[in-house]
Amino acid sequence: MKRFDCLKSLVPMLSDEIAVISLGGQIDEWHNLRPSPKNMYIKGMGAVIPFAFGLSVALPNRKIICSDTDGSLLLDMGILATLGNERPKNLIVMILDNECYETIAEHPTHTSKNVDLAKMAEGAGIKNSFTVKTVAEFKEKMERALKLDELSFLVLKLEPGSQSFPEEERKRTDGVEDKYNFVRYLEESEGITIFPREQKSIRKIEAEHNWHNTKL
Amino acid sequence: MKDSSVKLVIEGLKEAGVNTIVTLPDSRFKELYPALAADPYFRYIPVTNEGEGVAIAAGVMLGGRGAVMLMENSGLRVAIESLSRLGYTHEIPVFMIMSYVGDIGEKNWWGICHGLNMEPLLEAMRIPYTIVRKDEEIKDTIIRSKHHTAVSKYHVAVVLSGEVTE
Repeated sequence: MKRFDCLKSLVPMLSDEIAVISLGGQIDEWHNLRPSPKNMYIKGMGAVIPFAFGLSVALPNRKIICSDTDGSLLLDMGILATLGNERPKNLIVMILDNECYETIAEHPTHTSKNVDLAKMAEGAGIKNSFTVKTVAEFKEKMERALKLDELSFLVLKLEPGSQSFPEEERKRTDGVEDKYNFVRYLEESEGITIFPREQKSIRKIEAEHNWHNTKL
Repeated sequence: MKDSSVKLVIEGLKEAGVNTIVTLPDSRFKELYPALAADPYFRYIPVTNEGEGVAIAAGVMLGGRGAVMLMENSGLRVAIESLSRLGYTHEIPVFMIMSYVGDIGEKNWWGICHGLNMEPLLEAMRIPYTIVRKDEEIKDTIIRSKHHTAVSKYHVAVVLSGEVTE
C-alpha cells in the first residue's frame, strides 16, 4: 500500500492530536494533508520516538501520534524497551515501513529481510502491536488506537514511493522555525510558558538620581 | 555520594523546576537514584542509552515540564548524535547532570578516557558547563544551569565531582 493513501485516510480521523513526524517523503505529504502547528517535524533519526514519548509525559491530557520510519527506529531500538515498561497511555507510534532508505536510492533496511518490528515491540512489552498491510486494516487499527487509552504500535508495510508536489506547495520551514511554531501553539493551547519572556530591567536603584543636575 | 550531597542535588532540582528524571544509572550516583525514584515529586524514567535519554528529556522540556538527563560523563559520547540534531537543527535544549569519571585523582584505569574527552567534546559542541567539586555550589549551579537552557534554547551541563561524588 502507499504511504500517501494511509495518511489520506488518517487525517480526517484527527482533530486535536499532536503529530511528531520523522524524515523522508512523508514530510511533504503531512504538510500537504494536514498543515498545522500541531505537527512537530524532528530531523534526527533515532530521536523521533523518544522525543514523542517525552511529549506524552509532559502533556498527559493530549494524544500524541508519532509517525516514524523503519530506518529511524532501527537506529535506536532501545526505545521499544522503555515504551514497553513505561506504557504511555496517550501515545500512538506508527512505523512507516517501506523496508528501505528511500532517499538513498531505496537501499534496503533490515526489515526487508528477517526483521519484524511489530514482534520486537510485542517482545519488549508493547501489548497493542500490529502489522498492517492494507489501508482498510490500517484504518481499523488506527480507529481503535485513537479510542483506546493505551499505548499502540502500528507497523505499516508500504511500497516505496512518495507523492510529489509542485515546489511552491512544499514545506518551507526549517527545524528551528518548526520548533517555534510548535512551542507557540503549545503555549497558547495549554496556557503555559515554555520559553520565558525577556526580563525587564525596571529595578529601581536605592538612591534616586536626578540626571538633570548631573553635568555630562 | 554522601547523604548530604544527595539531599542538596534533590533540593536543587526541585527549586530549578525539574520534575522529570531521565537516567541511565552510573556508579558515582548510586545513592542518588533510589532517593529520586522513591520521591513522589519526580517522574523517574530509566532509559536504555543516553541518546534515547536526551531525546526524551528534550520532548519533556518542549512539552512544558522540567527534565534532567542524569548520567555518567561517558554517556555524552553516546548522546552526542541526538544532542547535535536537537541542539543545532532544532535549538531544543537538554539540561544534563553528569558525573566526572576520569577527573584528576581517578582511581580506575578504565575511567581515564572519560576524563580525557569530556571537556573537549563539550567544547566542540559549545555546551556551557560547570564542574562542581564543592557541596556548597550544588544548588545554585543546578538552578542557574536549568534556567539557562530555557533562555539560550541550547544544552547546558552540570558536571559533579570532588567532594560531591565522594
